[in-house]
Amino acid sequence: MIPRYQRILFWSLVGCILLMGAFMLRGCREAHRRLTALNDVNPIAAPTTAAKEEVALYIASDADATIRSVRSEVALPQDPSLRARTLLEQLLAQYSQPDSAHRLQSGPSVDDVFFVTDTSRANAGKVILVNLRGSFADNHPSGIEVEQLTLASIIGTLHAAFPEFTEVRFLVDGQPRSTLSGHASLDQSYSLADTTIRPPIPSEAATQP
Amino acid sequence: MTQIRKYILTLVMFLLAGGIRSLSAQAQGTPTSLPATGGAVQPAPPLKPPPAFYRNLIVLDPAHGGRDNGAQLSNSSVEKDVTLAFAQRLRPALTAQGFTVVTTRDSDPPDELTTDQRAGTANHVRPLACIVIHAAATGSGVHIVSSPLPPVETKTYGRALAWNKAQASVVAMSLRLANEAGLMLEAAHLPVLMLRASVPPVDSLICPAIAIELAPLKQSSSKETLATDPGYQQRVAAAIAEGIASFRTHNAPPPQATQGAGARPGAVQ
Repeated sequence: MIPRYQRILFWSLVGCILLMGAFMLRGCREAHRRLTALNDVNPIAAPTTAAKEEVALYIASDADATIRSVRSEVALPQDPSLRARTLLEQLLAQYSQPDSAHRLQSGPSVDDVFFVTDTSRANAGKVILVNLRGSFADNHPSGIEVEQLTLASIIGTLHAAFPEFTEVRFLVDGQPRSTLSGHASLDQSYSLADTTIRPPIPSEAATQP
Repeated sequence: MTQIRKYILTLVMFLLAGGIRSLSAQAQGTPTSLPATGGAVQPAPPLKPPPAFYRNLIVLDPAHGGRDNGAQLSNSSVEKDVTLAFAQRLRPALTAQGFTVVTTRDSDPPDELTTDQRAGTANHVRPLACIVIHAAATGSGVHIVSSPLPPVETKTYGRALAWNKAQASVVAMSLRLANEAGLMLEAAHLPVLMLRASVPPVDSLICPAIAIELAPLKQSSSKETLATDPGYQQRVAAAIAEGIASFRTHNAPPPQATQGAGARPGAVQ
């Protein structure tokens, strides 16, 4: 026989649980209502459709240290900064494919791309500033050849897409960094040029001064 | 008597004035009088300039070290150990070719050397060539890397060289050095790739300089020899040493016997 005071205590506790459950449910609904009220669903800018266009991607190969230009169709936004960033993301994403000849880790690689005009010099140079993600640089394979090919691939692709710019500089997480992953220098500006390369072969003719 | 004193006093004053003039002219480095040999002007012998480089001296720079491990080449080996091991194989191979070898590190120091310190060490001793040693887990064969700086004539470049562009004045020689090393590696049946890349501290070196990157040797699709393999390293070291010796023969012939006994041995100006 259960004593009466225990039955009263049991039902009191059940009542408290139900009350607390109802209170929490109400709180969740209130919070959800407040959060959805913050989301303004009204459109601010007209939606744009980025049509696919043909671009030149400079693709590297570790086996023979070559860079070759490959035509590819990519949907690119109109804003130059976003366009450059999308283009580089597209380029570097190619290297994360299993059959890539220049294997890099997958994941986001470029944080921002800025277009600046260096007025400090006599002939004002138009410079592209590429801010790479720290995770990309930290996980990049280490070696002179592999790092140089990544940089040359980026430089060639940017030159093909933005021929009016003359130089590119690299930052990592917004900070200058001496090398990409211990070898290829990042603390200098690179001239934007066609980086299609095929390494020279040693020759007897080139031995004499 | 008074007349004689006056003459003596005038003579003493004249001699004093002449002596002071002669001393001040000597301090300015200008000849004070014509030599007695027939009145022809013979300038003072010029100070001997320091030699441009020592033709028998090579600087080896095993890259990384200390807290900087470099690339992870396998589960058990890191780049800093492989570069040091390769430098220790290259050193006797170069000595056998008659070179004196200076290395930027002979062990794994607790504190890493900066690339600027390495360049300073190499530039200070004026070697015939500087060899920066790296190793990688990617690619195939031996990568010979030269500076991408455009060649610049020293005369037009001015006397002061920018620290990170100092290599520009000797980049043509560096390309010849890379070519000679490449030829010897090919002769040893080792795959070689010639690259141009900005790798610290090569651009700051004032001597002909190349970076050697040891990559795995891929013999077939399944079999490859890692850069850690002692036999592979020995073959590469022997070929590189022969390449550097050939570079010395073509670009820095032995000094003529007419240079005089005062010339410093091994110095080429």
